[in-house]
Amino acid sequence: MISLKNVAKWYGSFQVLADCSTEVAKGEVVVVCGPSGSGKSTLIKCVNGLEPFQKGEITVDGISVGDPKTNLPKLRSRVGMVFQHFELFPHMTVMQNLTLGQVKVLGRSREEALQKGMKLLERVGLSAHKDKFPAQLSGGQQQRVAIARALSMDPIAMLFDEPTSALDPEMINEVLDVMVELAKEGMTMMVVTHEMGFARKVARRVIFMDAGRIVEDAGKEEFFGTPRSERAQLFLSKILHH
Amino acid sequence: MVGTLRTTPLAWAVRLGNLYVEIFRNIPLIVQMFLWFFVMPELVPEALGDWIKQMPPPWGSYVPAVLCLGVFTSVRIAEQVRAGINSLPRGQRMAAIAMGLTEAEAYRYVILPQALRIILPPLTSEFMNVIKNSSVALTIGLLELTGRARAMQEFSFRVFEAFATATVIYLLTNLVVVLLMRALERKVRVPGLIAAGGAPQAGH
Repeated sequence: MISLKNVAKWYGSFQVLADCSTEVAKGEVVVVCGPSGSGKSTLIKCVNGLEPFQKGEITVDGISVGDPKTNLPKLRSRVGMVFQHFELFPHMTVMQNLTLGQVKVLGRSREEALQKGMKLLERVGLSAHKDKFPAQLSGGQQQRVAIARALSMDPIAMLFDEPTSALDPEMINEVLDVMVELAKEGMTMMVVTHEMGFARKVARRVIFMDAGRIVEDAGKEEFFGTPRSERAQLFLSKILHH
Repeated sequence: MVGTLRTTPLAWAVRLGNLYVEIFRNIPLIVQMFLWFFVMPELVPEALGDWIKQMPPPWGSYVPAVLCLGVFTSVRIAEQVRAGINSLPRGQRMAAIAMGLTEAEAYRYVILPQALRIILPPLTSEFMNVIKNSSVALTIGLLELTGRARAMQEFSFRVFEAFATATVIYLLTNLVVVLLMRALERKVRVPGLIAAGGAPQAGH
């Protein structure tokens, strides 16, 4: 479904990604973790072309992201993305946030979009808030709306960029619950997160990044059991001991 | 328009926009007024130039004055639009684009509606400035409000009355502008945000 081959990226002369290769199969949940500044957010943003990369190849569902001939807006409309800071559109109601893409990008009728939006809001437990504005919701609620917004496009895969890092601890679980459910339904997901509990529960594979490189790419049991690299061991010992 | 261009990823558009803004922002209004009135007709093709020079009295100075104020104000607004757009978090544009919107659609539905809410208050000042700046047009012979007041004073030697009236009219006009813009600000205010767009990312 998603395949990265030797991807490299520079900001000027500073290399942020080096020789990153991995695969995410259909229905697979892959967690990307690593210390801050290791390039994990950048990597996930390369997958739907939000960040350009200079070397290597990324394909999503057989379509090359780096190819200048690719219709990127169309490709992006098929890949849902959830951001650390939610990025709901603050001047629109929750429902308008959910229907904008459906109507403007997918060309659905307003009624159809509203129906779909309502269904998704029910699913994330927020149908009562459909006419509120994002700023009137809590962080956890906003992030659930953001997930619903991404799902409203019927994506073939979902990218999560630290979806719980900006949330108060008490709100993390409501968002993770939605994500776990999504994973169980067989959604293809690439998740940048520090929530190792989530990784243990639903991930099939864990990718560990450091300094722009994929240091470890292993099955979940293997990763949590005996990470091979020293760097990953150190990282795990730091975040698991508290 | 120009302000928007200067925030796009298009390098040539940004440079062109910057050039336009820097030229018209860095020349005093009164000099620009003279340029439009005396120099512009000489620079355009001769027939057009002659036609401009022969326009009957109010129009001969009215047209250059309008052009001058228009351009002068537009570059100031362009600067505000740019500031408004740049004050939005980068993620907003990303989120819009990640959803599959094209760059133009992202501006239309996501970026500009927010940026315009943010720049409404400075836009009000700009509106009032254009009204006040119109007084400079008297230097090219346009009998606008200040020009009229001066003419009255010369006929009647009543300096105080003439300029008191002009002052009151300026005040009233700008008051109307302020009230209209306030109403507009209230109308587009987004619930849950403190001021209209003033602190949209407070929770982030």
